[in-house]
Amino acid sequence: MGATISRLSEKPNLWPWLLLAPLAIYLAIFFLVPLIDVAIMSFTEPRLSIANYQKVLTGALYQKVFLNTFMTAALVTLACLCVGYPLAYLMNASKPRTAMLILLLVTMSFWTSFLVRTYAWMVLLGNNGPIVAFLRAVGFETPPQLLFTRFSSTLAMVHILAPYMIMNIYSVMRKIDPVLIRSAESLGARGFSLFRHVYLPLTAPGIANGCVLVFVICLGFYVTPVLLGSPREQMIAGLIGHQIEEFLAFGMGSAMAMVLLAITLAILAIYHRRFGLDKLWG
Amino acid sequence: MTATGKGFSTLLAPNRRTFLKASGAALTTTLAMPYITRAQENVLYINTWGGPWEEAAKAHLFDPFTAETGIQIRTVSPVSFAKLAQQVQTGTYEFDITTLGGGELIRADQAGIIEDIAEAPYEGGLFHNGVASHAFATVIAYRTDKFPNGGPQNWAEFWDVERFPGSRCLQRYPARVLPLALLADGVAVEDLYPLDIDRAFASLDKIKDHILVWWTAGAQSTQILRDGEVDLIGIWHGRYFEALDAGAPVGMTWNQGQIDRAYWVVAKDTPNAENAKKFIEFATSAKPLAGFVTQADYGPLNPAANEFISAEDAKRMPTSPENYPLTFEQDIENFGADIEEVAQRFEEWIAS
Repeated sequence: MGATISRLSEKPNLWPWLLLAPLAIYLAIFFLVPLIDVAIMSFTEPRLSIANYQKVLTGALYQKVFLNTFMTAALVTLACLCVGYPLAYLMNASKPRTAMLILLLVTMSFWTSFLVRTYAWMVLLGNNGPIVAFLRAVGFETPPQLLFTRFSSTLAMVHILAPYMIMNIYSVMRKIDPVLIRSAESLGARGFSLFRHVYLPLTAPGIANGCVLVFVICLGFYVTPVLLGSPREQMIAGLIGHQIEEFLAFGMGSAMAMVLLAITLAILAIYHRRFGLDKLWG
Repeated sequence: MTATGKGFSTLLAPNRRTFLKASGAALTTTLAMPYITRAQENVLYINTWGGPWEEAAKAHLFDPFTAETGIQIRTVSPVSFAKLAQQVQTGTYEFDITTLGGGELIRADQAGIIEDIAEAPYEGGLFHNGVASHAFATVIAYRTDKFPNGGPQNWAEFWDVERFPGSRCLQRYPARVLPLALLADGVAVEDLYPLDIDRAFASLDKIKDHILVWWTAGAQSTQILRDGEVDLIGIWHGRYFEALDAGAPVGMTWNQGQIDRAYWVVAKDTPNAENAKKFIEFATSAKPLAGFVTQADYGPLNPAANEFISAEDAKRMPTSPENYPLTFEQDIENFGADIEEVAQRFEEWIAS
């Protein structure tokens, strides 16, 4: 629309930019400046060198934790997709009232604090929790250890992040023109082949959006794996917090944050080339 | 990111310090405004742990202090060592007073981020410019439903997975866990420091597979013990009593309990230093301290406070005349290794 108006008035329209200015200034002061400071600190604390980066990129612990962080994020993303896609489909196929109800249930978990949700899983999956009690009742002599495993931490993270996936896919599904499906059917596409060749490609942008969003948010998690996961699971965000809170090693913490940021930006850049970042918000 | 960062700073100023100072000055004029007014109002800002800790401190330390001196107290939580360091660097103070553990205190004193304190408010109360206030102990606790005939009575027995089979939990905090591992391996309390780090890790290896989870937050440790997620735990005594009071079938021993001290410190160069020192003197005097430690489940480090504590309450304190001889103190000054390197090794060990 900006383009149409400017063509009419023969000069560039500054209004949209002016309206954005307060937000841009706010972000510049409270986000960009501190971020630049973090970038500088990663090279200057405790003295001017690239030693922090050498440590981060070559230290066995950091490599291991970075790897674990990305593996966890990938696993959680995949699980969110497996749960989210059918649910989004169900919402789209239901009557408006039912769809609203499902949407409400999905977004309801956003109303509860993140820590409360994590502790709720501890209660549910614990030794004296209902799930273990059920397993005992149906005949498991020694029920499997559920809490403090990769299973429990992944389950909780999927619970927290699945809404992002569902909303993204649902918004794309809603926009699909039903005529396309009907014409595919009239041309003889049935069942899986209809899904594989028509429906799936049409929903692909939603899948990509949801996956990128879930993956990137998950990279910054650490409380959930620490509270629910096995001791061997460590996320990079926890290590960054540790460096700063315990050792005042602002340089090391900053270098790790910069590496995490660089990798995240690289992922977004690849996504941008493929799909365009503007699509990320539906 | 980095290229932008460098370009930006060189564009604005010849080096980072001046750039930071310039932007800092611009920011502080706006951000520190409320603070400047506060300083004139006779207000002290104290960094607290929030929750029950703050309730106890409010009832026995903050409110009585305000009643006596007219100095208002506001609180900021949670306790953050990093923030203490940052506010001295930036000159913007969110709090004037905080509490630190022994290891942090020595580092803070060396880094020059806390005010010098010339005189001990009570005899023996001053250590590296911090005033010793209260103590807690890391003790052995266990589920009595799992061990009806009593649980381990020392760390060697805690390590004994044959005699006491079951899942275990310890704090993910090497400065506290390594001494316990050495005691378990047969080192005498008086020979603990400086720590034999390699021996401690070798001892930890023996128990690693039996540690189901490492706790990181106090509330988490109570929950794990109370709900029976583990059978044995090394836990802070206050957190143990919380589980006991909630009705959980749990037992503990004071034997070989490991004492940690908490110290009051004043942030370096805060404009409220005078009032802050006045508060610390008040907070470590016998009666207020006795009230605070009783409500918050600590032990007083000023012995004069024991007079104001009932025999019943004293049983729950690691510093009571009865319990104290069973416990041992950390000797942070003779730790024997670079704590940061040890922490790194500890995290690597856990991940492997």
